[in-house]
Amino acid sequence: MKKPLLSLVNINKFFGDVHVLKDITLDIQQGEFLTLLGPSGCGKTTLLRCIAGLERIDSGDMLLNGVSIKELEPNKRNVNTVFQNYALFPHLNVYDNIAYGPRVKRTMAEPELQEKVAEMLDLVQMTGYEGRMPHQLSGGQRQRIAIARALINQPDILLLDEPLGALDLKLRKHMQTELSQLQKKTGTTFVYVTHDQDEALNMSDRIAVLSQGRIQQIGTPREIYNNPVNLFVADFIGDRNLLEVEVLATADSYSQVKLGSRIINVRSAAYLEAGQRGMLAVHKDKLRIAAEPGPNSLAGTVLSVHYAGYQIRVEVQIEDAVITAVEYQQSESDYQVGDQVYLSWDDHGAILLPMEAGSA
Amino acid sequence: MKTVRQNLLAIPILVWFGLLVGIPLIYVVVLSFMSRDSLGNIVFQFTLENYQRVFDPVYLKVFLNSFLLAVLTGIITLVIGYPVAYITAKLERKQRAAAIGLIMLPFWISSLLRTYGWVILLGSSGVINNILIALKLIDAPIPMMYKFSTTLIGTAYMLIPFMIIAIYNSVDKLDQSLLEASYDLGASRWKTFLKITLPLTVPGIAGGFTLVFIPALGLYFIADLLGGGQTVFLGNLINTLATRGRNRPLAAAFSVGMILLVLGVLAVYGRITKDKVEGLFK
Repeated sequence: MKKPLLSLVNINKFFGDVHVLKDITLDIQQGEFLTLLGPSGCGKTTLLRCIAGLERIDSGDMLLNGVSIKELEPNKRNVNTVFQNYALFPHLNVYDNIAYGPRVKRTMAEPELQEKVAEMLDLVQMTGYEGRMPHQLSGGQRQRIAIARALINQPDILLLDEPLGALDLKLRKHMQTELSQLQKKTGTTFVYVTHDQDEALNMSDRIAVLSQGRIQQIGTPREIYNNPVNLFVADFIGDRNLLEVEVLATADSYSQVKLGSRIINVRSAAYLEAGQRGMLAVHKDKLRIAAEPGPNSLAGTVLSVHYAGYQIRVEVQIEDAVITAVEYQQSESDYQVGDQVYLSWDDHGAILLPMEAGSA
Repeated sequence: MKTVRQNLLAIPILVWFGLLVGIPLIYVVVLSFMSRDSLGNIVFQFTLENYQRVFDPVYLKVFLNSFLLAVLTGIITLVIGYPVAYITAKLERKQRAAAIGLIMLPFWISSLLRTYGWVILLGSSGVINNILIALKLIDAPIPMMYKFSTTLIGTAYMLIPFMIIAIYNSVDKLDQSLLEASYDLGASRWKTFLKITLPLTVPGIAGGFTLVFIPALGLYFIADLLGGGQTVFLGNLINTLATRGRNRPLAAAFSVGMILLVLGVLAVYGRITKDKVEGLFK
């Protein structure tokens, strides 16, 4: 493995009595797009602010290129932030906003600065807007200026705090694409904070899922989506049915479990002893509904059918449990309430997890 | 229909302003064009003589004195008030409430009484001179009373809360993330203050300056008590003319002149805040 660009080592942070970051340890690689994903209040923004230097950590260390930066003021760290509300300086025009960093640090002479600002405006596709004031820009445009203002400083890491939160859905989708292109084009390391799993899954090289101040799981979007390590991640990412089962036997990361009176074989995220209770997490969109029984399939009765345009949600009663399946092919999915159906899934469609959520 | 109803709602305010501001103002303006008979009684006869006298060099000096006093009061209260307001705005919630309470406390005591307080402090046998003599630092009392600067100190003292509160509001409203963005982009605290905080609080400074400047033109009792009438200011002049001088038309003409001066200041204030504030907090 390469030497990491930024190493977070056992970081702890308190606000008064509240323990907001608990033993955060995380390596960030040069050039990667890393997302901190979690519900509000999980500490993701606090962690970002600690990296920026806007918050002090109470214990642990932060190494940027192998050098500790935990004692440095924000203006001495070579990282820059794109704030949630953009925080453009309202009394300065677009040019002066972007030129702010190099000017206060006196890193460039005026002709070079002009060239650089023009380059940045070109990068974020805002050429010609130099003279505009921030209040004359739309949300998406302000966003771009905020990114240009940060990137002109050539930071080692660009920190982005829910930068798409204030935009409408359509623009958000568009900006997602633009942001990942920008990241690849500049090769800058991005650390991106969001509570939106779509954003995280779409853009990231790696995702760190946070809950209650603790990193629950770090991995690629595919790993996080398919192989959650605990109940919290399984519940937070993707749309899953959570079914309580009894473990009969475990071997080679597979378990035999009892769901009601049925016995099935499933992948297991951890070693679970026979006799323990476990939670089976089944992706709603990886369930297949069939009229005929197949291997490893569960028989049930259709409880309800919801038509929602691009998808159909079918609720199926299997003994005591109700499972929701989401179907995207509408041609054959013509089930009626009361029909007898059989549910089955591919190997990666379900995973068995320990009962307690992320108390590692 | 809607506009009619909105206009109806404005009537009480219009009546209020009409009675308390409009009519007295018209009275003063009309009075300033009236003549007097030999006994000083007002005669209902149009004249421009009062305004001619306003531009008498002797009286222009009075305008200049007042203008100078008001500008210097503005500058002093700004220099002292800005740090106080800035620090107050950065305090914790509880301490902040206490600090604002202390700043406003003088308003609960008669301003006349507080002005006499300065006499006790600065007089020849006042507290400061007595202490200095007791410490044998001086032999004879330093004359500190009845000067232009004494009036200036008293006026600045009286009006500084207005400056502090105006700037405080402006600092308090400042978006914290702008300061963080500035640090984040590499600016030190001092540079952030100069490049972000100061320009963004200009509306507060202009507001405070206006709030201090206008009453500073008219606080005649401070000039009387602390200045001892050594320097004549507009307020004293108008007061004297209207009472002992028995020349209310001339007093009215000076009042109109003072109102025009204030309107000039307000126009400048409007300019500054319009330029600076337009779209600032959108």
